[in-house]
Amino acid sequence: MGEVIVITSGKGGVGKTTTTANIGAGLASLGKKVVVVDADIGLRNLDVVLGLENRIVYDIVDVVDKVCRLKQGLIRDKRYEGLYLLPAAQTKDKTAVSPRQMQELCEELKEHFDFIIIDCPAGIEQGFQNAIAGAQKAIVVTTPEISAVRDADRIIGLLESKGLHNPLLIINRIKQEMVARGDMMNIDDMIDILAIDLLGVVPDDEAIVISTNKGEPVVSDDKAFAGQAYRNIANRILGEEVPLMDLEVDEGLVGKLRKLIFGK
Amino acid sequence: MNENLVAFKGNKEGIYIHIKDGNFKAIKEQLELKLKETKDFFAGSDRINFVGKNLTINEKEELKIIIEQKYGIAVNDKKSLEIKGRIDPKSSIQDGFFSGIEEGETRFIRSTVRSGQYIEYEGNLIVIGDINPGGQVVAKGNIVVMGSLRGIAHAGSDGNRKAIVAAFNLQPTQLRIAEIIARRPDSENYVNASKWPEVARIEGNAVLIEPYSTKK
Repeated sequence: MGEVIVITSGKGGVGKTTTTANIGAGLASLGKKVVVVDADIGLRNLDVVLGLENRIVYDIVDVVDKVCRLKQGLIRDKRYEGLYLLPAAQTKDKTAVSPRQMQELCEELKEHFDFIIIDCPAGIEQGFQNAIAGAQKAIVVTTPEISAVRDADRIIGLLESKGLHNPLLIINRIKQEMVARGDMMNIDDMIDILAIDLLGVVPDDEAIVISTNKGEPVVSDDKAFAGQAYRNIANRILGEEVPLMDLEVDEGLVGKLRKLIFGK
Repeated sequence: MNENLVAFKGNKEGIYIHIKDGNFKAIKEQLELKLKETKDFFAGSDRINFVGKNLTINEKEELKIIIEQKYGIAVNDKKSLEIKGRIDPKSSIQDGFFSGIEEGETRFIRSTVRSGQYIEYEGNLIVIGDINPGGQVVAKGNIVVMGSLRGIAHAGSDGNRKAIVAAFNLQPTQLRIAEIIARRPDSENYVNASKWPEVARIEGNAVLIEPYSTKK
C-alpha cells in the first residue's frame, strides 16, 4: 500500500510545484514507484515543470468523472522510470472535483504506487480541501519571509483540524549570506514559530530557474546545491538519516538542527 | 402572595430570568404567565440564561422543560452551572461582567493557537503552548500563556478591568483588556523579546506590562 503525501503552503509562489516535482523525481530515482498528482485544477504547472506538457491527453477530471480509465490518465515520465504524472485539467476549475472523489482516487492510486505526491494549490479554499482530502501525510513548504511563515502557520492549523497531525516542514529558497547578515529570518526563528519538525532546507539556487524552464527537475543535477537538498529530502522521506547540508553555517547551528530533526 | 417572584433582565450576554425565593408552585405559575405575555419578545432568541438562586436541580430542570418545550426557547444551561460554581454568585451578573478572576471557571488549551484560530471562553483561559501571529484568544477572565504570546489576547472581554494577561514571552500583536487596546510601539529599535515572564494589567487608562514579581 502506498503513502499519500500532500505538498502545501497556503501562500503562492513558495515552491510547492518545484518541491513536488523534485521529491517525486528524487523518490523515483531511488527506485520507488511514484505518482505526482497536480491538484491545481485550472492553473496547472506540474506538467510544465516536469516537461510533460505535450503528452497530456486525459487529466484528473477525466479520471474522476470516469471519462477515461486511471491508467489512461497517467503520464509516464520521460527520464525517471517509475515516475508518473496525473495532470490537472486546465479548462475546468476547483469545483470539478470533490473531496470525496479525491479520496477515492487516492485509494485507487495507493494500490499501484509506493508514493502519491499531491501538489496542492495555493489558498485555503476548495482546491486545498480537495488536495488534502485523501492525504495521510503533509509537507508544508515555506520561504524565509514573514508572510509565507504566517500562511504556513495557518495551514498547519487547518491540517491539524482535518486530522493531518505533525506535518513536516521544508524551508525553501534560503539565502545563507542574507541570514548571516541578519537580513533574513533564520531557520531557528521559523521552527520556533511553526513548532513542527524540519524535513529539509533548500537553498536559493539559480539552477532551479534553469531546470524549471527546461522542464528537468533539479534533483538530477549533481552540481546544484538545490539538487543535493532535494536528494537529501527524498532520502529522509525513505527514513534515512541524512544530516542537513552545510550551507556555510557554523557547526553549532547545524548540530542543533541535526538534533532537532533526528534527536527525537 | 409575593408579586414578583420572577423577573426578566437583559444585559450584553442575553436575557436572564431571575427567580426569587418563594413557593415553587407560585414561581411556576408566574413564569408561565410572564412567558405567555412576552412570547413574541423571546421568539427567535436562543440565549436565555437562567438564574435561580435557591432552586434544587429538579426544580430547575422542571422550569427548563417548561421554557424549552412550551415556548421553544433554548436555555443556556452552561451559564447557570457556572454561576453556581462561583464564590459570590450575587455579584457576578449584577456587575455586568465575569468576576471570577480571583477564582472561577477556567479552560485549558493544550496546543498552539495558530494563525486564523480563534478561541473564546466565558471564564479564565490558560494556553499551554504558543499563540502565533494571527491567532486570537478571548476570555471574560484572565489569560495565561505558558509559551509565547505573539497574536492577539483579549482578557476581561465583557468589561472587567481587573483581568490580566500573563505570558512566559509576552510580545503580542495586540493586547486588549476590557475595552482598552494596546499594541507594541512602531519604533524600529524597539526590542520585543522579553527575557522573563511578564504580566499585563490596566493601570489608570493604559495597559501596563511588568515582570511577574515587582519586588525584584
